[in-house]
Amino acid sequence: MLTIKDIYAKAGDKDILKGLNLEVKPGEVHAIMGPNGAGKSTLGNLLAGMPYVEPQSGSVEFLGKDLLALDPEERAAEGVFLAFQYPVEIPGVNNMYFLRTALNAQRKYRGEEPVDSAQFLRMVKQKIKAMNMRDDLLKRPVNVGFSGGEKKRNEVFQMGVLEPRLAILDETDSGLDIDALKIVADGVNQLRSADRSFIIITHYQRLLDYIEPDFVHVLADGKIVKSGSKKLALELEEQGYGWLNQ
Amino acid sequence: MAGLINNWLSAAEQLTVNEAQPAWLKAQRERAGMQLKSYQDPSRKLEYWRYADAGRLAEEKSSSGQLKDLGEVPQWVITISEHGYNLSENWPAHLQVSSIMDAKPEQLKDLDFDQETAANLSNTLLYSQGVGLIAAPSEDSGQVVVIYDFAEAGKWHYVRNQFVLSANSGITVHEQLSSGRINVVNVFDVNSKARLNRLQHINLNEQGAMVGFTCYELAEGAEVISMNWHQGGSLQHHIQQVNFNQSESLFKSGSINKSFDNNNITDIVNVNHHHKNNRSEVTHRSMAKDRSQIFNNAKALVAPGADQSEIEQDLKNILLSEDAKIFSKPELEVYADEVIAAHGSTIGALDEQSLFYLQSRGIPVAEARDIMIESFEQEAIIC
Ligand SMILES: Nc1ncnc2c1ncn2[C@@H]1O[C@H](COP(=O)(O)OP(=O)(O)OP(=O)(O)O)[C@@H](O)[C@H]1O
Ligand SMILES: [Mg+2]
Repeated sequence: MLTIKDIYAKAGDKDILKGLNLEVKPGEVHAIMGPNGAGKSTLGNLLAGMPYVEPQSGSVEFLGKDLLALDPEERAAEGVFLAFQYPVEIPGVNNMYFLRTALNAQRKYRGEEPVDSAQFLRMVKQKIKAMNMRDDLLKRPVNVGFSGGEKKRNEVFQMGVLEPRLAILDETDSGLDIDALKIVADGVNQLRSADRSFIIITHYQRLLDYIEPDFVHVLADGKIVKSGSKKLALELEEQGYGWLNQ
Repeated sequence: MAGLINNWLSAAEQLTVNEAQPAWLKAQRERAGMQLKSYQDPSRKLEYWRYADAGRLAEEKSSSGQLKDLGEVPQWVITISEHGYNLSENWPAHLQVSSIMDAKPEQLKDLDFDQETAANLSNTLLYSQGVGLIAAPSEDSGQVVVIYDFAEAGKWHYVRNQFVLSANSGITVHEQLSSGRINVVNVFDVNSKARLNRLQHINLNEQGAMVGFTCYELAEGAEVISMNWHQGGSLQHHIQQVNFNQSESLFKSGSINKSFDNNNITDIVNVNHHHKNNRSEVTHRSMAKDRSQIFNNAKALVAPGADQSEIEQDLKNILLSEDAKIFSKPELEVYADEVIAAHGSTIGALDEQSLFYLQSRGIPVAEARDIMIESFEQEAIIC
């Protein structure tokens, strides 16, 4: 599904990704851990098409296409979704309107019929219940005045509505209380399927108790320095990252 | 001698030769002419013209465009043209209209124009069209729509309107311009507990121009809501002047200014809190693209003793290109002790992060921009 080959990339004018390789097959869940500043968010941003992340060399193939050649909105319509580490607030843009516009833009790109507002409302009502989110958040402007946890939940809710093929969750578990963590994990687990994959960036193995990863990778200094099973996350939790250098 | 003021003065002489004018008008024109002679031509030396090309006042170019579709609201239409004015057939009984030329002299006060407003003073010298409207209280609700329809679109036309809202009356006046070049002065006399909704849609192509001066006189308990959409035009120069002449009144103004190509838009609101206990709110949202320029100015003066005045000035601006310019200036001049005032002004670009967020969800960049612009405008829509 996703093949990242020897990627070098700058964030602003700094070299951040330095020869990163990663292969994600359909249905797999990959967890990425690693020290602060290692380049985890930069990887997510690169895949989503953030303008200030500039690939220098290497390639990214997604469902047979050259991902880096596509605009951010095209990547989204092809099925890439990034749950942001820091979701932005957009005053004046209603959450529901935003999400329906996004969904219909993606459908249009794929040559599908738009969903009308009644259909959309039914679908959203059902998803929001499953996400255990307060539905008044939908009527508010995107993320404006949301608590940290509410913003993260809103990201996962959007993921539920947009049903991507590849979801990248960038520290979606940070700042969540235990109940919210379970809700977010539920949201992910409900979406898990044979043709959908996840990259889960996290600092805490706690989340991985709820979302069983197939692989755990350590990203340090711009590349994957170690890969393993779920056990690796436990080792990291106990010992930190220092031992990897020895 | 060339120059704008000389052009205006000789045009006024032509008027005197060509048409019979009532004595009061002759006297009014003479006073305006004398005053203009003591002024310089509008130019970038004046603050009000620092950010617009006053040379465009001398241009005569024709233009045409589309009027805004007003939808389903019942409309009472006044069409003002070379030949006078025309009222739509459904004209209601509670609104009395006459030609401005038939106005009683005592109803037409001399407005307080100065060097900065010389272009508006030229209106006093040259207007020969317009209406006087008197509104009585009524249960009927509808919009008075004012349409300017001048055949010679390339020429400047001068129009003076006077609206008197009797005590306890309420009307909506919707002014529309989509083509031509026009210099208009509107005076709204809003008597006690009267309520005015005043809408202005000025949507001009690159040739169109409008110089507008709107004066509001508010009596006890009066309420004025003024909503302005200004888009395009070689030149748009708008001044609103508000006088709180008693207490317990409210003035709210919202403007959306959108300029592109080589447009110059000036949007000035002067509020005079002469008396206690009045509230004014001015909200502008402006966007400039290409090489266009916008000047926003909200000014409030609070006279000595005008305590419990409440003032809000909120000017926000977005530059949509590197060559566009916006100047934005909230101003407070306060001589009273107990006043609640808040003012702010910002100039920025569309937020890149928000744009990317929308795109990352699948919204094409052009649409994402439109969504953000629309959300930005939203805050200035006050009715
Ligand atoms: N726009 C930018 N300009 C310059 N440097 C940047 C920019 N964005 C990120 N960086 C830098 O790139 C490095 C990697 O950042 P990144 O956000 O990818 O780290 P991370 O692994 O996600 O860290 P964390 O665990 O703290 O979220 C950091 O040193 C950061 O300061
Ligand atoms: Mg990060």
